[in-house]
Amino acid sequence: MGESIIRTYGLWKRYEVQGHDGAAIRGVDLDIQRGQIVVLFGKSGSGKTTYLNLIAGLDMPTKGRIEIDGQDLAVLGEAGRTLLRRNKLGFVFQFFNLLPTLTALENVYLALELTGVADAKPALETLALVDLRGKENRYPHELSGGEQQRVAIARALVKKPSIILADEPTGNLDSATGTQILALLVETCRAAGTTLIMVSHALNTCEYADRILRMTDGRIVEVSTCEALAH
Amino acid sequence: MKSVIRSFLRYIVRRRGLSALQLLGIAVGVTAAVGMMLASRSALKSIEGAVDFLRGGATHTLERPTGPLEEKVLAGLLTDPAVRTVAPVIDRQVRIEGGERIRLLGLDPFLDREIRSIADRIGESESGDVRRKIFTSFLFDPGAVLVDAGTAKRLGLSAGSIFKTSQGPLRVVYVFPNPTGEPLIVADIGHAQELFGMRGAIDRVDMVIIDDDPFRARWVRGFKIESNHQKAETLAALLGAFELNLQVLSLFALFVGVFLIYNTAMFAVVSRRRDAGILLAIGASRRQIAAAFLVEVLLLGAAGGALGGVLGFLLSGFLVKVVGNAISSLYFFLKPAALPWSFLNLAGGIFLGAAASLVGCLPSLLELGRVQPVRVLQGRTASRSAPTKTKNIALLGVLCLVVAGILFGLASRHVYVGFAGVFAFLIGASLFTGLAIVLSVPVLKPLFSVAMGLSGKIAVGNIRENLGRTSVAVAAFMIALSLSIGLGAMIDSFRQSVVWWMNSQLRGDLYISTKGDVNVPEDFYEELGAIQGIGGIDIFRNVPITFRGKPASITSIDASVLQRYDRFVWFEGGGENWEPVKRGSVIVSESFSRRFGVKKGDRISLEGADGPSDLAVTGVFYDYSTEHGVIMMDRSTYLKLFRDRTINSLGIFIDVTNPNRRQIIDEVKHRALVRGLPVATREEFHKRILDIFDGTFAVTRSMRVLAVIVAFFGIAGALMTLFVERRKEFGIYRALGFSTGDMVRMTIAESVAMGFISFAMSTLVGTAFALILIKVINLQSFNWTVFYHFTPQPYLVTALTALAASLAAAAYPVWSVFRKYPAMQIREE
Repeated sequence: MGESIIRTYGLWKRYEVQGHDGAAIRGVDLDIQRGQIVVLFGKSGSGKTTYLNLIAGLDMPTKGRIEIDGQDLAVLGEAGRTLLRRNKLGFVFQFFNLLPTLTALENVYLALELTGVADAKPALETLALVDLRGKENRYPHELSGGEQQRVAIARALVKKPSIILADEPTGNLDSATGTQILALLVETCRAAGTTLIMVSHALNTCEYADRILRMTDGRIVEVSTCEALAH
Repeated sequence: MKSVIRSFLRYIVRRRGLSALQLLGIAVGVTAAVGMMLASRSALKSIEGAVDFLRGGATHTLERPTGPLEEKVLAGLLTDPAVRTVAPVIDRQVRIEGGERIRLLGLDPFLDREIRSIADRIGESESGDVRRKIFTSFLFDPGAVLVDAGTAKRLGLSAGSIFKTSQGPLRVVYVFPNPTGEPLIVADIGHAQELFGMRGAIDRVDMVIIDDDPFRARWVRGFKIESNHQKAETLAALLGAFELNLQVLSLFALFVGVFLIYNTAMFAVVSRRRDAGILLAIGASRRQIAAAFLVEVLLLGAAGGALGGVLGFLLSGFLVKVVGNAISSLYFFLKPAALPWSFLNLAGGIFLGAAASLVGCLPSLLELGRVQPVRVLQGRTASRSAPTKTKNIALLGVLCLVVAGILFGLASRHVYVGFAGVFAFLIGASLFTGLAIVLSVPVLKPLFSVAMGLSGKIAVGNIRENLGRTSVAVAAFMIALSLSIGLGAMIDSFRQSVVWWMNSQLRGDLYISTKGDVNVPEDFYEELGAIQGIGGIDIFRNVPITFRGKPASITSIDASVLQRYDRFVWFEGGGENWEPVKRGSVIVSESFSRRFGVKKGDRISLEGADGPSDLAVTGVFYDYSTEHGVIMMDRSTYLKLFRDRTINSLGIFIDVTNPNRRQIIDEVKHRALVRGLPVATREEFHKRILDIFDGTFAVTRSMRVLAVIVAFFGIAGALMTLFVERRKEFGIYRALGFSTGDMVRMTIAESVAMGFISFAMSTLVGTAFALILIKVINLQSFNWTVFYHFTPQPYLVTALTALAASLAAAAYPVWSVFRKYPAMQIREE
């Protein structure tokens, strides 16, 4: 077994919405190794995105512990969690979430600049890696959906993070483009040894996964094969 | 970090229209503040400059408490060991063709050399012979005068020109440079005495005193001695209340501007929330996001402030004339020149705009710092304010109103306390806006549905749905409209009070020489007294004095005449007060009573020609002639105290039942005109007073307009932001089948509905504001009671303003709808 990069212990997340109690995450224990491609399936509202947000330190659990690369998120504090997201985590969203007033290059370079790197060259190289050479100076509204998602992937990759969290990265793309994006993401992560945790609805995603997880009502179960998932 | 800032700043360019609206709103607010400050400073500088120039090297002045000073006093002064230099002065005004009043100084060119440089300047640019000729002409030719260069240029005068004045024709012998810009005519003192009928008398003596205390000890009895320091204090006191009100007016405009900045900063936060969520997710810190937002706000604030600084300078050129006219009408003659351009105006405007932006954006900054990336990235924005939040904000508003109430209760301690209360009140009122929108929407929905169909109904709902944005825009507009109503209602009430006062106290059929620059010869009074059928002639004299170190005035009248013909309204006492006045007591105005704490039954001490006199106060009357206070006495008392026979004006009273009324009036008019004395009927006199009144509030009216313009930009900005932020929604409307016309109606309905809610609130807030101005501020600043009179005009004018501004504010968003709506689709990004 490889080295653990993400560990969650008895993780709970409860919400109170207009007086009504609900739990999005119910006692999840999980251990993810470095370099694994993990796909997390589940219906809408099953808690997948909540789980990603907790791992990223964007949200805090009601109960339980999260360790990223051996560091307890609760102990880190807000400043520490910010540094974690800055240096060790990359994010790819369903709706791209590029900054509309920055060009493709500037969006990618932004992630680098936050880590303190002043050189834009790695940003250019990463954009070339995702096949966007020549489109560096275009704004998001001047790019197609697929191209925008490539920029988002480049933004996540450029700082060479330990972990990439992808929330429905192909959810807003047509099937052909989605397949391309998926392949790109997985290939680049494997090549870099980056751990990838992907939330998805699309069954074909599981073909790329080292591990398949299913979330149902806030609980995670391991699924052995794509066929088992389909059934 | 640079990329974060860059991503925020590019919104300024990307949303050019909105940025322009925001910038203009800030600019107008700063324009008002800078314009007023410059006008006020200009007036003050003019006063100081004029005072310094006219004072020259003098350290003290000596004059009678009232009336002219006998020339023979000079002999004693010249031999007083404490006096180094004396210079007699006649200081009067003449009226030239066109009605303009100019100061005329009568100086002894030999004695005055030690005090002022004017005498030395006579003919200085000419050669020796010519210079001597000019000097000789000045000394010996009657009507020969010097005129300052600015006035000469303006009137087209040069050496040798003759121009007409109320005192007769004058001939210019020389044009001299005057650094103050204050119009000035200088004559030899002997000629001035002839001109004003003051043979053997002067107005005052300017001196250089080398030993103050012994001098005062010798001369205190029967004379008024003022050092430069005392004069400066008196001057400051004279203008104190007026200046304070000017400053507060400009602060009102800036207050609305700060609101606008808060307004626009909130909009920016709403549109930056998503970006902030993304940045937090990829590792930016809250501090970096806040800093980027701050840079954006400060940049807009500084740019708006810079524009405001320039526009404020231009506005001050107009305002300085208005302020000068007001001061001249109310206090003393002043013609301030606008200050020259200085880059400090720009720097000041930038500072003001940036500072106002900082204050205005603080709540938004805190809001941005609390952004929850999880909610934002899931598309859940906090656009619908929870009912609890609206109620909590309203509770905060209640707290502000309580604080305002406490401050009003303490307003008597210092006038600033009252003004602080006003601001607390306005802030408190604005915090009720959210609640007002929530409560009014159910009422407005059916109305707008009937008026504008489904578009109207949705529009009203949109205002409620986007409370975070609309409530601030409505609050800013409401405050501006409330200022308009409040100031308008206060001015109208004040005007009505002045009309009531004039109808009670100024009831003469004719008034002779009320313009203040021409006195009435005593023999003319006697001449009129011989005309059959005149019921009574009131002999009026008004002189400024210093009472307990503060400016006040003494008025002498004929108590018998006023007792018979006037209907004085008494603050304390009643008509029975006239008998004691005839016997030597005095009555005081309400302002005087409040300022000096003097009541009916008290005694006051006045410095007369023969030393101090103790006088009984027998009543207090309502008066609006001066906020510094009036001591009124019968002419017999005045003559006994001051031996000053000057008559400023006459009031002619004719019995209503007299069948020859018309002929008597015509006869008096004719005789006055023969003497070159201006005559006014009661109606004309009252109109003149009201014209002065209206002129003094010209500044206030300007500020009302500016405040509304500032708030207009607030509404326009709100609409534009709603349009930009709801593009996705517009795509849905289009998909559902709403036409461009429907969307235009919706946009107009949103604007009109916001305007309507603003106006509705402003009727209550504005009325309360008017009452606060009347009962608290006016009372504290000017010490007089203004009676509230309801007039519909401020409300009608404000309603029309609200409607016009709402429609105008919708113009740019409507144009955007026409341009962009036909192409809108449902898109995520």
